[in-house]
Amino acid sequence: MNTSRLSTFTIVFSIAYAALYLLSVEYNWALFTYHPALESFGALVQKPIDGGPAMYWYGWLTTSALGAFAVAALACAVPAGLGNRIWSGLAWAVPLAAMFAFVYILRGYFTK
Amino acid sequence: MIIALLILHGLLAVALLGAITHQTIGVWTPARGHSGSFVGRMRGVSAPAYVNAIIVFYLLTFCVGATIYPSYRLNVRIVLEQMQLFKQNGAFELKEHLVAIGLGMLPAYWYFWRQPLAREHARARACVTLILAFVVWWSFLVGHVLNNVRGFE
Repeated sequence: MNTSRLSTFTIVFSIAYAALYLLSVEYNWALFTYHPALESFGALVQKPIDGGPAMYWYGWLTTSALGAFAVAALACAVPAGLGNRIWSGLAWAVPLAAMFAFVYILRGYFTK
Repeated sequence: MIIALLILHGLLAVALLGAITHQTIGVWTPARGHSGSFVGRMRGVSAPAYVNAIIVFYLLTFCVGATIYPSYRLNVRIVLEQMQLFKQNGAFELKEHLVAIGLGMLPAYWYFWRQPLAREHARARACVTLILAFVVWWSFLVGHVLNNVRGFE
């Protein structure tokens, strides 16, 4: 992978991952669910079983990572020059914006 | 086993905290000349030397944390809810998301710190490092407080 494509891949991955993670949490796009009380996995989003909690965090991570990989790979496939047009600051600005979005989403915990 | 992993998680976090704090200070307030003081030496560190260690420690700390997370979900979070410790619970929820977003920043972080350092990525390099440092500090402090939360009753 040449430097231009490496630049495109890593920057687009960081942008897409943060955006997809935020969307995955907000809309619960978990690729799988973990039931810690039963120590078992289930495909996609499942409701809690037998009163135990259901954990979606691992599923959100997987959705975001695979989705970001696909988006970054597609960006690399676009004719050369795209990498030079992407502002590298988006690699920190978009994740930072996602972090502020989570602060807003979770504000209820801190105002009770 | 969980306690051993929790201690390992904490030790890895301390190593990560030290490495990323040194790098962040080195990149944001680089030393102008030679200084023998404690602060001067921290500012004078070779920031690029920490990159691989930070990535490895971040991944290891993340993996161990993800391994013991189900135990937290079953044994700690329920207690926090029963004790109505909403702020502590929310702080951990935020930690979970910040750490996940930080994980996704690692490829760009690695790229921006590749040798030779690209002048055009200097701002992005510094900002990504600062954000990761904040994520690590937040996670460390929240994890530490929650580990001792029963003592605050």
